[in-house]
Amino acid sequence: MAENGAKATVTLEIDGVEVTVPSGTRVIEAAEHVGVVVPRYCYHPGIPTRPAQCRMCLVEVEGRPKLEPSCTLQAADDMVVNTASDTARTARQSVIEFLLVNHPLDCPICDAAGQCMLQDYAYVTNQLESRVDEPKRIMGRDRISDDILYFADRCVICTRCVRFMRDVAEDDSLIVAQRGDKAYIDTFPGRELDNPFQGNIVDVCPVGALVHEDFVFKARSWDMDAAASVCPGCPTGCNVTIDTKENQIVRVKPRHNAAVNSWWMCDYGRKHLVMTNRGVRAELPLIRAGGGDGDGGELRPVDWATALDWVAEKIGTLGAPGGSAVVSPDASNENLFYLRTLLDRLGVGDADFRVPQGETAELPTVPTLKLRADRAANAIGAGFFGGRSVDGPPNGSAGGALVVLDDELEGAGEDFGASADFFLYLGTRLPGAARNADAVLPIATFAEMDGTFTNFEGRVQRFHQALRPPGLARPAWMVLSRVLARLGDGEAVDDVRGAFERMAAQAPAFAGLTWDGIGLKGAPAAGSAAEAAGVAGSAEAGA
Amino acid sequence: MPGDVKVVERPRAESSYVRAAAKGMSITMRHLLSPNKKTQQYPDEKWELAPRTRGTHRMAVHEDGRAKCVACGLCPTVCPVNCIKLVPAEDESGERYAAIYEIDEFRCIFCGYCQEVCPVEAIHLGVHYENAEYSRERWVYDLERLVEQEHDVTALWDPQDPASQ
Repeated sequence: MAENGAKATVTLEIDGVEVTVPSGTRVIEAAEHVGVVVPRYCYHPGIPTRPAQCRMCLVEVEGRPKLEPSCTLQAADDMVVNTASDTARTARQSVIEFLLVNHPLDCPICDAAGQCMLQDYAYVTNQLESRVDEPKRIMGRDRISDDILYFADRCVICTRCVRFMRDVAEDDSLIVAQRGDKAYIDTFPGRELDNPFQGNIVDVCPVGALVHEDFVFKARSWDMDAAASVCPGCPTGCNVTIDTKENQIVRVKPRHNAAVNSWWMCDYGRKHLVMTNRGVRAELPLIRAGGGDGDGGELRPVDWATALDWVAEKIGTLGAPGGSAVVSPDASNENLFYLRTLLDRLGVGDADFRVPQGETAELPTVPTLKLRADRAANAIGAGFFGGRSVDGPPNGSAGGALVVLDDELEGAGEDFGASADFFLYLGTRLPGAARNADAVLPIATFAEMDGTFTNFEGRVQRFHQALRPPGLARPAWMVLSRVLARLGDGEAVDDVRGAFERMAAQAPAFAGLTWDGIGLKGAPAAGSAAEAAGVAGSAEAGA
Repeated sequence: MPGDVKVVERPRAESSYVRAAAKGMSITMRHLLSPNKKTQQYPDEKWELAPRTRGTHRMAVHEDGRAKCVACGLCPTVCPVNCIKLVPAEDESGERYAAIYEIDEFRCIFCGYCQEVCPVEAIHLGVHYENAEYSRERWVYDLERLVEQEHDVTALWDPQDPASQ
């Protein structure tokens, strides 16, 4: 150990399995390479500081007199580590016994139950009885910020939240107050917890001490379904997991992706994702087929087959090519691709999209993770498919065909689309500006379908269906592929793979990409900044 | 008339009903006067049920009359026939409670898992069998109705011998 050779890797033995890891790797991380997860509280892979204070990850190293905390212990050549020896297990059981001295054991009403590391480790260490006769200390709960509650009795003082704020967000607003069994987490005197990334302290909490107020008592962990998704709040495209219960989003958590958001996401994204899936929705296809033939009359609800047949027929009988289109920069790549295919058929050039602007926020230690000013999930993707960023109210006064894809048409006048020969509105909602539409086709939000977004640096990222769409709403790629199929262009697709495959075959930016190849970590689009930067794409997905 | 019908002559002693009737009456009289009568005068007399009889539910309450349920969600989770509906909420003092708690007793199979799993000993099966109702809706017991029940609660196991050995 005395020699200071620049060795790239070290080889050690963990629980009888030999493993070679990069030099400098900690034993707790090396153990994960052989499939051993050493119990831990204070260690979190996304938080740089490792105080080794919870004493949960103690392991036995041959030739050393005492147990060593594996979160700070550097892996070295010829080290023989035993994570499950009797000594290590007894030590772990003792730690659990101490943690349970004052723990209220209120698992039946705790929101972390089922996903709680104290529960898990109490179970695996078989620590069933307490030898303490003294009554438990009771501290109650506290509002630590405007939307986060702190249940002090449940806290194991791992300080992950304090260290996330201090070392990742670089905001010294949280501290450990008092000592010993009176210790609790609080805001620094005279300061408030008011950080755009503070929601992450709830995600790092290994127990149920920190809970989002809007999640308190909402759902038990086993009642929820999870879907891998991407945050649509801004072009960063943070990877997230959407937890749903009874077809409602109850929680949004960041999903690790080293190239995009690391382990974190911003609070704006969490709220935005929930809000985009609330509200009154368009649920039925509507067409303006009068009593006789042709225009006039009220919009009336019909089934999909009738609506699609009618729309295809109207498009087929349109006169001179030309027209205009308004698209949402929150639409998925597949939706935009199918819309572009339809627009090309109609002879429509640029599709206008408007990107709302908002405040920015940065997480100082993670350069790729920012809340960006553009409040749109897929403006880059819209650009790939003949989109044109414009300001001001949407222009719907031109003649010819007018197609709107999921834009709420804010600022549009009463006569929006009145002079169009054929006004097709595909939307998740039904804004007043769609009143002149000849056909309204209800489509699914991003959380109700599978698809991809392209983030700010051109990384194509997959998201998966978390909710059932309301009523007859369907993904726009599914709807548009059927309109096109009726016009003799391609086939109707039911599976996102089919939609993605056709897009990859026809759109140069997606050449060479496959749905499976993108994986859950995303892959750079052809010619994008992400590709130029050599961002670890699918290669990193397996790690 | 078929020609080969055989007519059997029977002695009077065998074919007379007098003796059989007298025998029957004697059995009737014996049972009428017997101290071991089995007929129960329901509903004037009620059956005495075993303490482990599993009948319709009852919710235990605190001294102030609040239901003991903390809305943990274990009973709807464990229920094999999904007959329990629970919506948890937070009361003024920040405690978790059941905003909606309904048991469909028609659907219930009276397995007793809900009582067994309850961490606060709130929901119980009852030693009770008189459940006639005029409508199916009345068979869905809400929290108020569960609290109102007054019958004994089921002992799922003998406290002296919890493992039934």
